[in-house]
Amino acid sequence: MLITNPLNSSALTFPILECIHIVGFAFSIGTIGIVDFSLLGIGLRGQSPAQLTKDTWLWTLGGLVVMLFSGLLLFSSDPDMYYLNWAFLIKMVFFVAAIVFHYTIHRKAVSSDVPPPNGKLVATVSLLLWTGVIFGGIFIGFIYPGLSFGKS
Amino acid sequence: MLLSFAQMLLSFAQWIQFTPLFTALRGSANVYPIIMSLHMVGLALFGGMILMTDLRLLGWAMRKRSIADVINQFRVPKRWGLLLTATCGILMAGSKAEEYYYNAFFRAKLILFAVVIVQELVFYRSVYANPAVLDRSPSVPGNAKLAAALSLLLWTSIACCGRGIGYIEPPLDKIHAQMQGIRDAALVPRGLYFLKGQDHPNVASAN
Repeated sequence: MLITNPLNSSALTFPILECIHIVGFAFSIGTIGIVDFSLLGIGLRGQSPAQLTKDTWLWTLGGLVVMLFSGLLLFSSDPDMYYLNWAFLIKMVFFVAAIVFHYTIHRKAVSSDVPPPNGKLVATVSLLLWTGVIFGGIFIGFIYPGLSFGKS
Repeated sequence: MLLSFAQMLLSFAQWIQFTPLFTALRGSANVYPIIMSLHMVGLALFGGMILMTDLRLLGWAMRKRSIADVINQFRVPKRWGLLLTATCGILMAGSKAEEYYYNAFFRAKLILFAVVIVQELVFYRSVYANPAVLDRSPSVPGNAKLAAALSLLLWTSIACCGRGIGYIEPPLDKIHAQMQGIRDAALVPRGLYFLKGQDHPNVASAN
């Protein structure tokens, strides 16, 4: 039986969802980036990373929820393609790693007002993981399942 | 006047995309998506700071920080973020400049950038230059909130237009053929086509 996804009935749904996805990650990765740069001591010296986290954690979480649900809907438009797309698989690995890292090690590093000695390392790892998620997301569109690379 | 300005822009676009840098970029399958990814990394960091600044002015986020703290501290990192995002954006646009020239979303994006610059200039003195004044007033003044709301709307629209660019592919082949037709019509007397029993190129392309 052919099951049709209502998302695919309009050509506009996908691009609109993508825009929501982008705004979602501007909120989540943007606020995480603010805290990470503060941990690294680049800019934002007026307050501790812990204070910044208290200011932004809700927006981070909100952005993540929006990003996750819009992402699931985007995925549902063509699951087979995503499943076979290695950029998507790499993105998911980075995403799971980034989320786990964010709510365990990263969270601990920004829990006290005095940044821990490994604060800079934590911030660097966090930034790299989220950058990996973004790279994976962009490369999805440049890969055609079948392990070929680039447009040819 | 306006037409010749458009012609100038088009000529510029056609010239710049065939400079060695942009030609190489266009031909590369791997570098292009890397630049696009860096554009998005820049968007996440730069956009995140814009969102937080605007939401602070609206009183929805970072309320424990003073407005002066938020605006002043984000100023320099925002510039770096803008530099990264804009550099990558220019690299992408330049490599397909002629296509972008015809792209409606790209045009809209450029217009929105112009509006953002106007917005910054209009609210610069009352909002962005002396944020400490805003902290001293009992509640955030209306024009600061208006500035923030406009900024939110404009930057979100810019991001969405950016995504839209990829959905339009102006038919350059068709456009070139039409232009060639117009050039031919200007150079060759109409009678020649009639004598040869051919359609005029303008007519042929219209068919």
